[in-house]
Amino acid sequence: MTTMKKSAEAGLNKKTFVERLKMDLKNHWQMYLMALPVILYFLLFNYLPMAGIIMGFQKYSVRKGILGSQFIGFANFTRFFTGPYFWRLLRNTLLISFYGLIFSFPLPIIFALCLNEVRNAKFKKLVQTISYLPYFISVVVVVSILFDFGKSNGIITNIAQHFGWNGGAVIASSKWFRSLYIGSNLWQHLGYNSIIFISALAAIDPTLYEAARIDGANRWQQTLHVTLPGIASTIVVLLILRLGQIMGVGYEKIILMYGPSTYETGDVIASYTYRVGIIDGDYGYSSAVNLFNSIVNMIVLFTSNWFSRKLNDTSIF
Amino acid sequence: MKKNILKFASAALAAAMVLAGCSGGGGSTPSGGGGGGGSAADIPKSDVVKGETNGQTYPISEEKISLTYWLPQENSMGNIADWNDNEFFQWLEEKTNIHIDFEVPTTGNEAQAFKNLFSVDQKEMPDILYTQPATQNYRDGMDAAIEDGYFVDLMQYLDLMPNYVSWLNSIPTAKKDVITDSGKMYGFWSFWDNIEEGYADQGLAVRKDFLDKVGEPIPETYEDWERVLTKFKDELGVKAPLYTSKYGIDYGEFMAGYGIAPYFYQVNGEVKFGPMQDEYKEYLTMMHDWYTKGLLDPDFAQRQSTGVTADSDVTYNDAVGLRVDWGTRMTDAYFTKGEIENPDYWLVAAPQPKKSGGADPAWREVGNNFHDIQQVCVLISASSEHIEEAIKWVDSWYAKDVYLNANYGIDSEEGTTWYAAEDGHRVSDYDFRYKNPDGLDSLTVAAKYWAKNPPIRVEAMQIEQMPADRAESYAVWSKYPATNYIPVTVTMTSDENSEYAQYYTDIETFVQENNVKFINGERSLDEYDAYRDTLKSMGIETCIELRQAALDRYNKR
Repeated sequence: MTTMKKSAEAGLNKKTFVERLKMDLKNHWQMYLMALPVILYFLLFNYLPMAGIIMGFQKYSVRKGILGSQFIGFANFTRFFTGPYFWRLLRNTLLISFYGLIFSFPLPIIFALCLNEVRNAKFKKLVQTISYLPYFISVVVVVSILFDFGKSNGIITNIAQHFGWNGGAVIASSKWFRSLYIGSNLWQHLGYNSIIFISALAAIDPTLYEAARIDGANRWQQTLHVTLPGIASTIVVLLILRLGQIMGVGYEKIILMYGPSTYETGDVIASYTYRVGIIDGDYGYSSAVNLFNSIVNMIVLFTSNWFSRKLNDTSIF
Repeated sequence: MKKNILKFASAALAAAMVLAGCSGGGGSTPSGGGGGGGSAADIPKSDVVKGETNGQTYPISEEKISLTYWLPQENSMGNIADWNDNEFFQWLEEKTNIHIDFEVPTTGNEAQAFKNLFSVDQKEMPDILYTQPATQNYRDGMDAAIEDGYFVDLMQYLDLMPNYVSWLNSIPTAKKDVITDSGKMYGFWSFWDNIEEGYADQGLAVRKDFLDKVGEPIPETYEDWERVLTKFKDELGVKAPLYTSKYGIDYGEFMAGYGIAPYFYQVNGEVKFGPMQDEYKEYLTMMHDWYTKGLLDPDFAQRQSTGVTADSDVTYNDAVGLRVDWGTRMTDAYFTKGEIENPDYWLVAAPQPKKSGGADPAWREVGNNFHDIQQVCVLISASSEHIEEAIKWVDSWYAKDVYLNANYGIDSEEGTTWYAAEDGHRVSDYDFRYKNPDGLDSLTVAAKYWAKNPPIRVEAMQIEQMPADRAESYAVWSKYPATNYIPVTVTMTSDENSEYAQYYTDIETFVQENNVKFINGERSLDEYDAYRDTLKSMGIETCIELRQAALDRYNKR
């Protein structure tokens, strides 16, 4: 680290970028060699496909390809923004993400905190294991379970009816889609998502607790003043990363779960892109839709990162 | 997928690789072409009637060559692993000296698999494709598929296909259906031999044993149906008296009495869109009422079906009273498969219902037959290395000596898969298929000895060998002619098609979604006018105009 800094500083005034790079390459070629696979990976799989963005501005035809297809400017975007589904898709995407964030972000933290207070190591291990077991169930199976439990005489429908629901199968109702989607997500990922917090908790210096106890802090005060600050940076970084995915509701579970009766609340940008792109083969239009999605996503990510840096000096870049 | 290379004896041959007439094609991509008006090209005259004498010379290829054949028939394969295990295909390979590598997409995924073919390297496109144009089509229409260089325009190869040409000459209406408005012929259409106009192989199917138990005849009007379905529910405890698709409607069999259809249809040459009609609202009102009364499958929105029965977990037991099904599934057709526990199980055909005192229904999903034409079209890839051989190979199917073998089993199977009737025509041996001496199930027998749905299908083959009470279904469903149906051969130009696709994909989703909501009550039927306004704002009127223009051109062809 220090040598790198020195050579960089030394070269700053005298040499051009290329010269500096050359020197750096020569001095630290092992490092560059180690980074090479990762750089190649990003170039090949993340940067190269970005050329596909062009498709969003074309009346894309597979036969003619990216170079031969007709340019139509922003027509694909206009079609999307003025189309009948724009607001619904945006609303559904944001709401599913937002509710997902509200429930599935704090709960693993709370779960980890609770688990942290458990003194019996065996019991702790047992709870932890059971809680992350569902993570290993395939999403297809989870959705089939939902279908079975949610049909007109399924257990979830029965419970809902007990509490006054009278609309038939919950899995077919647009009013239930988000709850089922987020609820099952929570059930599946709670334990697994808490692992990272549990390990962050383990890294807190025990002497801090000791000091707090000497100062007369009770368990609650210890949690508030030692534990939480101890994992705050982890929480913030993960939160920013989560915000970065706010428009990125995956289509896999959605397309398994939704149907004509639940499009109203279940159809998101990703599933719509899947339908028009993969099913209908309208590649140009679906690229445009997806590009819009990515741009909104990026804006959210940068904004939240900026806020975080302003507020508490923690940021991911 | 299921590929396999079967070796076979090579043969020698008479070398008529006619290049004389196919100057236009010659392996390169026929492009543009046609422009407007179909007058430029015409189908040559032929003295042969319906492929009576085979116009091809065999073997087709001097050297043994391999062609790939995209055949979406996985669900017909029974227990065979490769269509090359089929006796007829082996026979055809020997005759033509052309080996076929089969590409079989998985069941249920055919339409998607077909679309994917356009995004791969065109060298990978199979040489020959068996398609059902109603569901497997190019986004911008088949004219565009030729213009974009995917498939050959068969107009340029007419002299390589004497057998097909003889069929086009024998069926007066055929020309109108096989040539597009721009004068292109994008594939080999399939025909019925000796068909009676209006033959139907799918329709409403009701449990006769249920009807007997509640002492009712087969219902004819919606009132009758409501009474019967209520009895099914109350007296027999049937969970889903009326089973429908996940869109809440079938292919229109049950709504036909309202004089409408699920999507587009025509009335005396005028194109209409079902959901825009008042009768459609009436129909949904009735369905909503039935849903509330528990006559409709309470879980319909989660079913797999998009029209014809698909959920065997409810339809093979006693959970369902009325549904839409295929003719081959009538009566106790599934008994052999051991999937039916109730020994009384008996499924019979029912005609489309009428409103009491109303007009006759004029719609059904024609499915497999219109104007003698089956909705099957075989396409030839423009990037094939053996375009001519592929065309000749497909053309062979239209010759009588080949299609008889394809329908009944090969010549040497006389006495096993088929026997000759007194007047000499072939009859399939029912017992060989359904009580097979080797203990094979009927599907595997069919997959092993003859071709499934070959380009020329002999009607007798379908029905003659069936038990009488099963065969009766076909007449029941054909009771009302499907005059409101718009033939699938009504085609739009590529520009029209891309404009249409832009609007219509969203519209169809919207309609399906709202059908479900109106039926299960999530949306009130009072909002129907608002719903129609939304459809208008989504461009339904433009879609109707485009379809109307296409139909007008078709009628003038």
